Amino acid sequence: MTETGPMIEVENLKKQYGDLVAVDDVTFRSKPGEIFGLLGPNGAGKSTTIGCISGLLRPGAGRIRVMGYDVVTEGPASRRRLGVVPQELALYEDLSTRENLMYWGAAYGLRGTRLKQRVDAVLSVAGLADRAREPVRKLSGGLKRRANFACGIVHEPAALLLDEPTVGVDPQTRVRLLELVREQAAGGATVIYTTHYMEEAEKLCDRLAVIDRGKIIAQGTLPELRSILGERDVVRVTGRFDPLGVPEALRSLPDAELVHAADDVITLAAPEASKKLSDILRNLAAAGFEVRETTITQPSLESLFIKLTGKELRD
Amino acid sequence: MRFIWTTFRKDWRRRWRNPLEILVWVGIPLIVGLLIVLAFGGKGGPRPQAHVLVADQDDSFLSGLLVGALSQEAAGGFIRAEPVEEAEGRARMEKGGATALVLIPKGFSQAVLREEPASLALVTNPSERILPGMVEEGLSILVDGSFYVQRLIGEDLRRFADGPPAAADTFDDETIAAFSAKVNRLAAELKGYLSPPILRLETSVDRKEGDGLSPGFLLLPSILFMAILFMAQGLSDDVWEEKTRRTLRRVVCSPQPVSAFLLGKTLASAALVFIVSLVALSAGYGYLRLSPATFPAALVWATLSGTMLVAAMTALQLFVSSQRAGNIVSLAIVFPLMMAGGSFFPFESMPSWLSAIGKRTPNGWALEKLKEIVLGRADASGFAASLAMVAAVIALLLWISSKRLNHGFAQD
Repeated sequence: MTETGPMIEVENLKKQYGDLVAVDDVTFRSKPGEIFGLLGPNGAGKSTTIGCISGLLRPGAGRIRVMGYDVVTEGPASRRRLGVVPQELALYEDLSTRENLMYWGAAYGLRGTRLKQRVDAVLSVAGLADRAREPVRKLSGGLKRRANFACGIVHEPAALLLDEPTVGVDPQTRVRLLELVREQAAGGATVIYTTHYMEEAEKLCDRLAVIDRGKIIAQGTLPELRSILGERDVVRVTGRFDPLGVPEALRSLPDAELVHAADDVITLAAPEASKKLSDILRNLAAAGFEVRETTITQPSLESLFIKLTGKELRD
Repeated sequence: MRFIWTTFRKDWRRRWRNPLEILVWVGIPLIVGLLIVLAFGGKGGPRPQAHVLVADQDDSFLSGLLVGALSQEAAGGFIRAEPVEEAEGRARMEKGGATALVLIPKGFSQAVLREEPASLALVTNPSERILPGMVEEGLSILVDGSFYVQRLIGEDLRRFADGPPAAADTFDDETIAAFSAKVNRLAAELKGYLSPPILRLETSVDRKEGDGLSPGFLLLPSILFMAILFMAQGLSDDVWEEKTRRTLRRVVCSPQPVSAFLLGKTLASAALVFIVSLVALSAGYGYLRLSPATFPAALVWATLSGTMLVAAMTALQLFVSSQRAGNIVSLAIVFPLMMAGGSFFPFESMPSWLSAIGKRTPNGWALEKLKEIVLGRADASGFAASLAMVAAVIALLLWISSKRLNHGFAQD
């Protein structure tokens, strides 16, 4: 592996629970200093992918390497280079933050002075130095989140896995956590960041993979992903429709691409949609459909997700 | 190896920051044990003695004999007689200050000697159940005895009770000598029957296991293993705590083997079992004045077998579907184990079939071994073999638990 080569390589990963395919042929790579986002709704397969990389879950098929170490055949070596920040708090509440950090640092092989130095450094970075000796149970939710993050980075991992670390977090703590993530990447670590918050992914991630129902449906930098939309707006119309009759109703509007049609909602992609909205609504009314509400979305990850899956990310 | 020590220290700290939990594990068995010891009379204590107040209004030779006979050693020392005035005796009985009050009315002696109706009054304390019965029985025997004496030498006694002839101040020497000779002859004739008795009652009681051991001794290992079982149940629940707090996932994601983590936790539990055993055995050895020579072996055994129980309960917790189910299942197992395994009731007080089953439970087996060790009945080779077996079982249980943690429990 070269210095700029992939830190984490996931190739054709598959994970199945009985008949349910949680992750299906997922492939991606992340480089040093890069924040790689896994974007998808709940149940898309993001956490399962993180679980397989971290060694928590055994991949059903495919291959995962962390800095060249296979997570299955060279588990301890690969795990030693990984830091994991789970979505839920994973702390001993009756121990202090310092004691938690000492324990998890030791779990990753840190000892003696080096361990103490790292714990002090991480406490300072996370803004927990003055509360370090208090039991975790006495900390506020936001401080617990920071402590949870600190436990994942205490051993200076080369690769950091963050599984929706900002879920249920107050805005102030979210900003602080995102700063910490950027600092890790700036320090040369690769960060795999799962989220279902579009704006978070847009602001934070250098590259992204959009995942739905276990499959990666798009992957690239933000500009690359936007180009998939071709700078077109997404028009979402709710009402009463006949899905089979909608294409015929829009035949006279060649710029409007029908993305998705259902009984109660249709989704279109069109350049400068606001200027074409009156034509779209007229055609739909002429076809006998009832229109209740219309929304136009500028090109974004949200609109990309809608275009790719026909549904909103939060659905 | 270092991670085992780190995990040990982590769990040790966590345990001592929740002292209430430890107090409950140890406190409940202590309270139960204390109640049982009190109910069964502890290690012996003073022998119960009936305190009998005697109001002797007759104040005669015969009434004096009666009072003396009540409290003599032949009564087994169970009765202590105290002369009182009737009013004082009744007042003290009102306050429950004695077992019984015997009233010997004036003229009692004359009535007995003249074969006239005579009565003794016995007032018993209703708050005592057994001792008043003993007093009543003792008094009844004395009354029967006086009847036979009266049959044998009643005529002579009556003559003496009537006093010397009117013309004389005292009985003449010849009369006294004749009476003495008669009493002596009677005693010589009866001696063959009374001393030694012709009828010898030989009693033999089947010696039950545990006879000769005080209830306090029998309860020492019982209480200790009750505490250990409570600890095993509580400590085993910690794998669910680690799971629900997601710390177990962090461990699985770390480069350390899960077996090292589990071993560290088990050692922390073992240290706790050691501390509790040390305190319980020290108190027990001191209170019961047991030979300190067996103390180290008893401590080692209690610690290791207790650790085995913790490891077994932990393995069990890993195979149930939820923390709640784990609590229910472990309690459903722990209480029958306590009952049958000699923790609530010593084996010595159980029917033989039940104690046979109980001694085959893990805690019952360990408890019996502990008794043997404490009494110095365990031989060195047998002790070593038992230790090796327990160590092997712990190793097996840890292996099973590690497998389960790695494949399913942490990930579910």
